[in-house]
Amino acid sequence: MTLSKPFGCIRCLSVAAIVIGLGGIGFVYSGLYPMHADVPHNDFTYWVLETLRERSIDRASGNIQVPADIDSSDRLLAGGADYNDMCAGCHLSPGQKDSDLSLGLYPAPPNLAAAPGEHGDEPTQQAQRRFWIIKHGIKGSGMPAWGSGHDDDRIWNMVAFLEKLPALSPEQYQILSARAETGDGHH
Amino acid sequence: MKNLIITILTLFSIMALASTAQAHDPKEHMKDAEKPNCAAMKDMDHSKMDMNDPVMQAMMKQCMASMHGDDEASEASPGDHDEHMKHDAPPNDDETSAAPDDNHHEKPEASEETPGAEHSH
Ligand code: HEC
Ligand SMILES: [Cu+2]
Repeated sequence: MTLSKPFGCIRCLSVAAIVIGLGGIGFVYSGLYPMHADVPHNDFTYWVLETLRERSIDRASGNIQVPADIDSSDRLLAGGADYNDMCAGCHLSPGQKDSDLSLGLYPAPPNLAAAPGEHGDEPTQQAQRRFWIIKHGIKGSGMPAWGSGHDDDRIWNMVAFLEKLPALSPEQYQILSARAETGDGHH
Repeated sequence: MKNLIITILTLFSIMALASTAQAHDPKEHMKDAEKPNCAAMKDMDHSKMDMNDPVMQAMMKQCMASMHGDDEASEASPGDHDEHMKHDAPPNDDETSAAPDDNHHEKPEASEETPGAEHSH
């Protein structure tokens, strides 16, 4: 080798990069990665996907304006009924341990009726994050985007309900999530 | 011209179909909706009930609607409902503001304890 040292290094780096790149593409085509939902991702894939998701949601939801009346009882009531109709099958309700969907989906839908977990978000941040997730959904997971059939107000109602959900007893949940006959807004 | 009409009609029917498929109108659920089981409220620990708690207020509203759905209370404004809610507070709860329209609300008090109170109409 007559090349000076820096050039040699660049050359071996680029060879390495090409080998890794080709190897990666080869792996993708090989069909070796397990796609079955009943086998969890390996730690590396999990880390990549989780970081990708969390960074993306943080960036996209940071400027969302949370309504001032997010704690109102009217929002709670409206959100409770919608949650029960559209979300409880995956995200469960007080007193319920699992469902076919909560067991079978991967990534698994978090139990939103359980005590709040890892996310140490402050309340505003949590509300922004939840609003964004409900409206836009999460790619490559069972979480649908609900924004096409539901306006922002209805989504905020569900965000409001989610805030109280872990504290509800099964009886309270039943009352709040039922659709009273006056629920169609006759007053 | 005929083609245009057909196009427009097709578009409209597609739109109609699409809207029934995606728009999730709360009314669609009314037929199979569960009614609130308000009888369960009387088993809850009344001393722990906080009337300023939105959860409590929401439960009160829900149960007001199902119990007085067909009397004049249902015509009242939501603001009015708040007064009714305080009314159903257990006696040991401080009653700060006396509602002016007390009287018509004393009688249903008894019916709240009976399962029959969840009548349909
Ligand atoms: C078909 C199942 C399914 C349904 C129905 C569903 N979700 Fe989800 N949801 C998921 C899954 C799966 C995730 C986790 C996605 C992930 O981890 O990448 C999720 C995540 C979420 C999250 C983020 C939780 C967190 O803290 O990370 C929220 C909030 C949420 N869903 C709310 C709702 C609401 C509200 C509804 C009803 C309108 C709903 N979901 C309906 C499957 C579902
Ligand atoms: Cu819906």
